[in-house]
Amino acid sequence: MKTRYSITVVLFLATYIFGCKKQLTEDPKGNLTPLNYLKTQADLDAAVASIYAKYAVDGAYAFTNKSTSYFGADDLTTDPGLNKGDMRAFDQLNGSSTNSSMLAQWNGPWTAIYQANNVITNYAQVNSTDDLKRKAAGQAYFLRAWGYYNLVRTFGGVPLVDKLISVNDRPPRASVGDIYNLIVSDLKIAKSWLPVSYNDPKQIGRANQMAARAMLADVYLTMAGWPLKQTANYALAASEADTVIRSGGYTLMSNYASVFTTNNNSESVFGLQFNVGGSSPNRTYGASSVPLDEVAADGSSGWDDYYPEINFFLNAPKCVRTDATFYTTLKLRQGSGSNVTFKLVPWNSSETHAGHPYYKKFRAALGDGVVETATTLQSINPSTNKTTDIIRYPLVLLDYAEAQAMSAGGPSAAAYAAINQVRTRAGLPNLQTGLSATDFQKAVVNERAYEFAGEFGIRWFDIVRLQLLSEVIAARATTNENPINFTGDITQRYLAPIPQNDMYINPSWSQNPGY
Amino acid sequence: MKRFFCMLLVCCITWSSYATATHLKGNKYTIAAAPVSGKVKDSKGVPLPGVSVKIEGSNTVALTDVNGGFKIDAPAGATLLFTYVGFEDQKVVLNGQTTLDITLAEKTIGLNEVVAVGYGIQQKRDVTGATSTVTSKEIAKRPLVRVEQALQGTTAGVTVSSNSGQPGTGLSVKIRGANSITGSTEPLYVIDGYIGGNIESISPSDIQSLEILKDASATAIYGSRGANGVVLITTKTGKIGKPVININTWVSKASVPKELDLMNAYDFARTVNAQFATTGNPPAFSDDALNNFKNNPGTDWQKAVQQKPWIRSYQGDISGGGENVNYLVSFNHLDQPGLILNQYYKRTTLRANLGIKLNDRMDLKVNLTALLPQSRNTGYSGDITDPFAQATQWDPTSPIRDANGNYILRAQYGSIQINPVAQANNQLVDVNTTNITGTGVFIYRITNDLTLTSNNTYENQSQLTQTLYGPQTGLGLANGDYAAAATGRYRAYQTSDFLTYKKKLGDHSLTVTALYEFQNHQNTNINAQSKNLSTYALGYYNLGLGTTQLTTSGYYQDALQSFMGRVNYTYKDKYLLTASLRSDGSSHLVQKYSTFPSVALGWNAARESFVEKWNVFSDLKLRASWGKTGNQAVAPYATIPQYVTGGPAYYFDGTTSSITTPLGTPVSNTLKWETTTTTDAGLDMSFFKGRLTFTVDAYHKKISNLLYAKQVPSYDGGGTYLANIGSLDNKGIEFALGGTPLAGKVRWSTNFTISFNKNRITSLGGDDNIVVNNIGSAQTGVSILKVGMPLGEFYGYQFLGTWKTNEAAQAAQFGMKPGDAKYTDVNGDHKYTGADLMPIGNGTPKYSFGFINDVSYGNFTLSFMFQGTHGNQIYSGTIPYTLGGLGDARNATSTTALNIWTPTNQTDNPTFSSTSQNFINSSRFVYNASYIKLKNLSLGYTIPTNVLSRAGFKSVEVYVSGQNIWTITKYPGYDPEVSNSTNAITQGLETGVIPNPKTYTLGLRATL
Repeated sequence: MKTRYSITVVLFLATYIFGCKKQLTEDPKGNLTPLNYLKTQADLDAAVASIYAKYAVDGAYAFTNKSTSYFGADDLTTDPGLNKGDMRAFDQLNGSSTNSSMLAQWNGPWTAIYQANNVITNYAQVNSTDDLKRKAAGQAYFLRAWGYYNLVRTFGGVPLVDKLISVNDRPPRASVGDIYNLIVSDLKIAKSWLPVSYNDPKQIGRANQMAARAMLADVYLTMAGWPLKQTANYALAASEADTVIRSGGYTLMSNYASVFTTNNNSESVFGLQFNVGGSSPNRTYGASSVPLDEVAADGSSGWDDYYPEINFFLNAPKCVRTDATFYTTLKLRQGSGSNVTFKLVPWNSSETHAGHPYYKKFRAALGDGVVETATTLQSINPSTNKTTDIIRYPLVLLDYAEAQAMSAGGPSAAAYAAINQVRTRAGLPNLQTGLSATDFQKAVVNERAYEFAGEFGIRWFDIVRLQLLSEVIAARATTNENPINFTGDITQRYLAPIPQNDMYINPSWSQNPGY
Repeated sequence: MKRFFCMLLVCCITWSSYATATHLKGNKYTIAAAPVSGKVKDSKGVPLPGVSVKIEGSNTVALTDVNGGFKIDAPAGATLLFTYVGFEDQKVVLNGQTTLDITLAEKTIGLNEVVAVGYGIQQKRDVTGATSTVTSKEIAKRPLVRVEQALQGTTAGVTVSSNSGQPGTGLSVKIRGANSITGSTEPLYVIDGYIGGNIESISPSDIQSLEILKDASATAIYGSRGANGVVLITTKTGKIGKPVININTWVSKASVPKELDLMNAYDFARTVNAQFATTGNPPAFSDDALNNFKNNPGTDWQKAVQQKPWIRSYQGDISGGGENVNYLVSFNHLDQPGLILNQYYKRTTLRANLGIKLNDRMDLKVNLTALLPQSRNTGYSGDITDPFAQATQWDPTSPIRDANGNYILRAQYGSIQINPVAQANNQLVDVNTTNITGTGVFIYRITNDLTLTSNNTYENQSQLTQTLYGPQTGLGLANGDYAAAATGRYRAYQTSDFLTYKKKLGDHSLTVTALYEFQNHQNTNINAQSKNLSTYALGYYNLGLGTTQLTTSGYYQDALQSFMGRVNYTYKDKYLLTASLRSDGSSHLVQKYSTFPSVALGWNAARESFVEKWNVFSDLKLRASWGKTGNQAVAPYATIPQYVTGGPAYYFDGTTSSITTPLGTPVSNTLKWETTTTTDAGLDMSFFKGRLTFTVDAYHKKISNLLYAKQVPSYDGGGTYLANIGSLDNKGIEFALGGTPLAGKVRWSTNFTISFNKNRITSLGGDDNIVVNNIGSAQTGVSILKVGMPLGEFYGYQFLGTWKTNEAAQAAQFGMKPGDAKYTDVNGDHKYTGADLMPIGNGTPKYSFGFINDVSYGNFTLSFMFQGTHGNQIYSGTIPYTLGGLGDARNATSTTALNIWTPTNQTDNPTFSSTSQNFINSSRFVYNASYIKLKNLSLGYTIPTNVLSRAGFKSVEVYVSGQNIWTITKYPGYDPEVSNSTNAITQGLETGVIPNPKTYTLGLRATL
């Protein structure tokens, strides 16, 4: 009996020991890996959508922190107290490399560039038609160029990474010129591979050829300014913008206010899409632009993240656009429960905590931001489905106007026509004729300031490329603004510092001067 | 290597089965039996009921009655064996006696004990490794809810902290410091041979003993999982005799040990006005409003979110056995509501331990356990948005509810987050788990020298988590309301088969163990989330009501195949040698197999005749060991690059979703286990027949191939990837001193343990200054990894108080004003930049200690236990948010705000200011967190036996006790013991963690 037991045990164990060998090989049945994925067109589409999605999150361009270092401009300031320290630091020209909100400006584009590099490295192996593959890759080139364009303008020279690299590689900071060369080259590929239109309303948010051309025009215009000052690029900018204008694909919305309450309207050239239900809300509309003093009937209140500087508002031309842009009468909640009423006070009333005007154009979003009438406030929501427009048609018109005038030594009739289209819609008279190239450029830049007031970086980058900071500081009000105590070299404030942690990871880099 | 083990194993088994066939013929007595009777007593003459009296080599057994009497028919020349729990066995050879008076000797605690050493047992005097034991007796002294509590303060070299007072949360156990920065720092738990068993599944009263294996000589047999030390848990088994019923029940009243000093409504309102004045704003509260608050303290939000629950525990077991079968069945139910509203943890454990003697050579043990925990809202991670933290930031001028009884969800001042009472009451995270574990152990004594043990365990766990964050929660207010259900199934099996060969030849004794082991784990889970439900009337029971649906699922399977060999050799019982070698093959790694050797020497000097002559030592043993162990800090599939699924889609028209599958972070395919090389030297001493014992151990642990989730450079996509980057050092010394100073009418036994550990990072593979974040936004970049420094280092600016009025000009250079915070400007550039950051404290204790005392007099027993740590600090994330102006906490709530800097009262508490620099990470928020806690104070009364026996009780003890009732500390927060750190780097960080409760307990222990 014992022998029988023993033999059974031996056989049992032997089966076990020799049968378990292959179990040490991993088979991740529930995971996509390079072995089984990015083989079909559907895979490629998902990889392309991933690039867009990386831009549309809080750590990138979905929240106010996407503009952290742009608070140095006059169209953006923030609360003197509260949790706005990160933005306030840059408002006071005193940002530091440890500023954590600024990380969205650095990490956001890099995470998208990594996904774009994945598509650019691997699209050719996909089993599909060349046409479809180029449409997909073209978007990747466009989105990579956009990321680098924001990085180089915000931080100066950054490493040039145009493919998937080893995790141990530590590339140096490339020169600003090299980064622009990559951007121009990417946008040239994008414009030749992308269709003028996708002819499908469901694909309206995809970058198309005109978006690539419009961005290329803006890139050339910027290259003509600081720091590259490649003025030959004015002509190239004018030419790209002109192609977009002549395509006839875009028209200005007749009502300026409705640009900010509709998605993908007739003047949207390229925008970033959001969807609250799909866990990708836009949090730059609604509550973030609402004063803290405002409490809605349902108890929700403003976040007070950003608003314009006082003199920026006071210097705005009187027109419907200005009325639609700024919020100047605050509604203060009185009473509670069913007896809630609102007391209307002007922005500079002593009953407000900041004594500032706010932005009106960012309040309502698609009706899912601030819900209000002229005298009541129902609710204030932070998360909206509103698209963030990156390139609106007026930008193409104004890029064209400035570039044409600067390339030809003076504005042409077409340049006047372009700026006047924007002025007319704003409710302003035509621009004075006979201006010199530089006066015309000043007029365009001023027009851009108010057409795009508070919009993602546009005003700040104008200040940077034209080196306007001392002028902007001089125009700043002396009271009720966050004091600028910065005493260093003001020309070192055009670039934001490289985040401290990245300096640690890349010991060979040198920090931007002044930080 | 592994093939060699296989062959060895198979050969041994085959050979032994032949050997057996010829060996056994059974033992039958042919001589006629005659009756023998007698009495069994202890050394004090007290009769012992239930003592087993057995005729050796036969199946005949008798038990003593209530008066210790027995009667048995025994043949002449037979040997009677007397066995009883807690007493030494005694053998009597019958030589014509018919009556016997037997006095059983109580087991002396210590050296002759047999202890579990992993894959076998060993006499304690032969153990060469550094080990400690916690017995069931020690465990029974306190109302424990979790096994880890039994290790706190009882064992040298083991630092246990109860990191959170949240019910159902495990304790952090570190044996000889932290050995990893990425992987777990918790020891490996081995439950009745099942490696990595669920510690939650053990009811403390089911434990017979806990063995803590500390050095590599003891732990290297567990190879790639041994680096953090090993805790062997042996559960109780039934003893031969009639059924014995144990009942152990207690009830505790728990409460938060202290409150933070926060302002009442009046002080708060006038402080808000003062804060507004500094930014030139009109007062928030009118004089009338202020006057009203003079007579109305407002809402005490701390009290409002807290509760003082009754905690109940009911435990009962029945055990017994006959010649061929012994059994123990137990039941335990714990009902533990939390210290904050709408939080509880309930746990039922059932256990059946069965021992079957198949024949003289074969035994079978079957242990079955069922664990059925149920919890609500016990997952607060410790964050600034948790209701417990929000309670310290909320506006005391706001009532909890409005006149209609509806929650006031937001307040105008203080925190901008949701009302913490509403949040706590309106959120539901309900977890229901069923865990069934079955272990079957087959023991086959193939020959007298060779034994086969096959230990097989199957564990199956299913879990359902139902979650509801409705409209009246923080998420709801941001339109993120949702209901969700997640279910998971986990199963694991292990087979652990080993041969033990034991032989004694003259002065030589040898034990050889050869092991084959295989483990496999599989996990499958499905998560369904439904957002923005059209109605919440059905709670989380109908997920079809959501506007958006999100379903994800996950799967993994892994396996570990191992071979181990061990040799124990002793010469003349004086000179001891242990050597072992384990080879682990894991599915997680590309290069599958890793090898872990160890060797140890021991010298039982007490057995040398020259030492015996001194007549001082009852034990004197020197030990030295060296070995390697590993830490499995690489997750399954970590070496395979992956695409990430289940993340947010992209919506090209704003409404139509397109799936996204972003490429995940790069991976390294050369990963290895972290390897710890430990050298240990120890000395065990025992004097006066064990009345005084002393153990000291010194060790040096070098951890190489340190794994770290290294930051992927942002230009390579960001995120982290796992890499073997560096090495770490732990050096330490630990002492255990035990004694029985009084052994007369008053008996006093005492135990003191103290452990010093010094931890240092020796290499980070070229990286330095790795700044690490903790949970949530409250503690960003506070911790740092720096070569030459210990883990748990805080990093920030050095706070120097405030700028005074006469320093206005200097302050202005920094963009600051008098009253603002002043820090050390390390590089003297008149700016506070990254260059001025420095180490500002550390969260790891320099030493920790425990002091246990039991004093008994007559039927009374007084026990008390102190436990503490020294030299550690806490970087508080909670306190800065009560000072006004940080993050979402708009206004100050702490009474510190009543003493901030003003031009006329220039204190070192920074004033309200528009500068963002007052709240940057600095030593201002670093606090001394050394503490001494009276962990337990208990007074028990044992009801005299003569009173009880009539009622059928064997023993009854009632006790009252208090836990955490007294703490000596300078720490100003709730509890110096808690932390929300998730790894060894972020030790000492605390934000919004619920403290350990102070409890008063009434308990009853009875044996029937």
